Amino acid sequence: MWTFGRKIAAGFTLAFLLLLGIGAVAYRSISSLANTSQSITHTYKVLEDVAEVLSLIKDAETGQRGYIITADEAFLEPYQMAVAGVPSLIKDLRQLTSDNASQQKRVDEAEFLIAAKLAELKYTIDIRRKGNLEESAKFVRAGEGKKIMDSLRRSLDQMDHEERDLLKQRADEAAAVAGGAKSTIVFGTVFCLLFVTAVGFLITRSLSGQIGAAVQHVQSSSAELQSAANQQASGAKESSTAMSEITTTISELLATSRQIAESAQRVSHVAEETSSAARAGDQTVQKTLESVSGIKRQVDLIVTHMLDLGKKSQQIGGILEIINELAEQTNILAINATIEASGAGDAGKRFGVVADEIRKLADRVGGSTKDIRLLIEEIRAAVNTTVMATEGGSKAVDLGAVQFAEVTAALRQIMELLGTTTEAAREIELSTKQQATAVAQVNAAVTDIAKASKETEVSANQTLQTAGQLAGLSRELTRLIQAPANA
Amino acid sequence: MTGPSAIASKAAELRDAFDRARAIPLSTAGVEQVEGLLSIRVAGDPYAIRVSEISGLANDRKVVAFPSSIPELLGVAGMRGGLVSVYSLAALLGYGREAGQARWLVLCGAEESVGLSFSDFEGFFTVPSTQVYAADKRDAARARVKHVLRAADLVCTVVSIPDLLESIKRRCDNSRPSKER
Repeated sequence: MWTFGRKIAAGFTLAFLLLLGIGAVAYRSISSLANTSQSITHTYKVLEDVAEVLSLIKDAETGQRGYIITADEAFLEPYQMAVAGVPSLIKDLRQLTSDNASQQKRVDEAEFLIAAKLAELKYTIDIRRKGNLEESAKFVRAGEGKKIMDSLRRSLDQMDHEERDLLKQRADEAAAVAGGAKSTIVFGTVFCLLFVTAVGFLITRSLSGQIGAAVQHVQSSSAELQSAANQQASGAKESSTAMSEITTTISELLATSRQIAESAQRVSHVAEETSSAARAGDQTVQKTLESVSGIKRQVDLIVTHMLDLGKKSQQIGGILEIINELAEQTNILAINATIEASGAGDAGKRFGVVADEIRKLADRVGGSTKDIRLLIEEIRAAVNTTVMATEGGSKAVDLGAVQFAEVTAALRQIMELLGTTTEAAREIELSTKQQATAVAQVNAAVTDIAKASKETEVSANQTLQTAGQLAGLSRELTRLIQAPANA
Repeated sequence: MTGPSAIASKAAELRDAFDRARAIPLSTAGVEQVEGLLSIRVAGDPYAIRVSEISGLANDRKVVAFPSSIPELLGVAGMRGGLVSVYSLAALLGYGREAGQARWLVLCGAEESVGLSFSDFEGFFTVPSTQVYAADKRDAARARVKHVLRAADLVCTVVSIPDLLESIKRRCDNSRPSKER
């Protein structure tokens, strides 16, 4: 099956060959016409030269006769022009008719006759110049010159006829060539038009059929491609969106992993610091335990002193009771003295004053003993409270000692556990760092994939756009192909 | 809490007050009339006894129970080399006999000494005579009350010892056998 290019090339080649043939025929006809025209021009030149020669000879004869009659030199001018111009004309004629042997022969004859005529004319002129009019007239009347002239006219007439025959022949040839060229151009053009039309119709028909089928195929393929590109674009978009979400999630995961790594590092540091603090705490607890034993001894001593103080306070209370009783008795005595003094009248007034002062003194002593009793009660209460508090402190110290022992054991256990925790935190830190590195690599890979998804999405969109353009182009092609049929 | 220095300063104050009292000359010119009173409590109520109406004050005296038809009579006690009959002041004032031991005793009566016992003795004080008012009839009818003390911070009943002695005497006279009359 021929391709479109081959068909179009074949059609154009045939049309070109036809045009080339028509052109060649036309060129040949025009060349022939040009040659014929040139030959005609050549013939006209020969005819012109022949007429010019005859005219010059006639002028020379006219000048000779005028001079013979008048003897005036001015009438010789035509003769002299003929003598000067004829040789060049003969030369031209010989060249112009070089391709014609008969004409060459006639040119030789005419040259001879012209020379004879010019000699005759020169002879007569010379005679006349010598003053012999009669003789010159006699010579003219003798008719020698007329004979030469008639011969020359005949020879030149033959040449003229010959050339006019050639002219007619060449005109006929030119007419024939022109008619042939005209016919060739007209018929060739018509044929070429018909041929080009037929070829164009055939090529159009063939191309319409094949391109139409191909365009239909392209249209259906472009529709399928569009659908596939749509699916690819939507898939690529979903993939791009999913990859973006995955990228975001992995970024968050990476940040979280780094935070975990930092936290694990901090935990490790804190665990180490806690371990050292626990060791320091253990030493402190040991020292505190020794201090607690010292405190316990001091507390026991304080309890003993406090109990002594309580006993001393009780003794002071006993003494104070005696003092109070003495004050009360003194008060009673003073009141009784006051009573006695009031009973003694004026004589007892001074005594009454003394008794009153003694009573006041006893009252004040009683008040002071009450204050002292209150103080002693407060001291005893404080001692009791102190003793109780001290005993409580002693018990608390004992309990604290026991608890300190427990704290020591717990601290040692904490130290062991802290060692384990530190190791675990270091392992977590190392694992989390490896995990963060792996997540970073995954993140980079996912970022690349996301970029590729984006590019795929862009490519799918471009494919979709191209498929749309292809579909539009196929519709345009269909419209272009089917438009004449529909029209 | 009061410190040792406070106690020492208080002792010095007492000493100065005593010396100052002894240094002031006795003078009655321009001094308003005052009354010496004993502040006591009977069954929790405040009472006052004029010092001029008693002859002595004692405490913690052993009272030997003495059988008598007078319920207010507690017994007899030794006072200043003699025996005195001791009556319950609370019972005489109409409260009934006090449950506990009445450790205070006032001695009164010129010819025949009588002891009146009560549980709480608060102290001796003097007031201007103008602050002792006559009791109204309602209080006077209650129990041997003739005067009431109204000081700035104290309001109490002033026990009339002569009336109590008169009452005791009447009871004693009534309780004696008729043949002795």
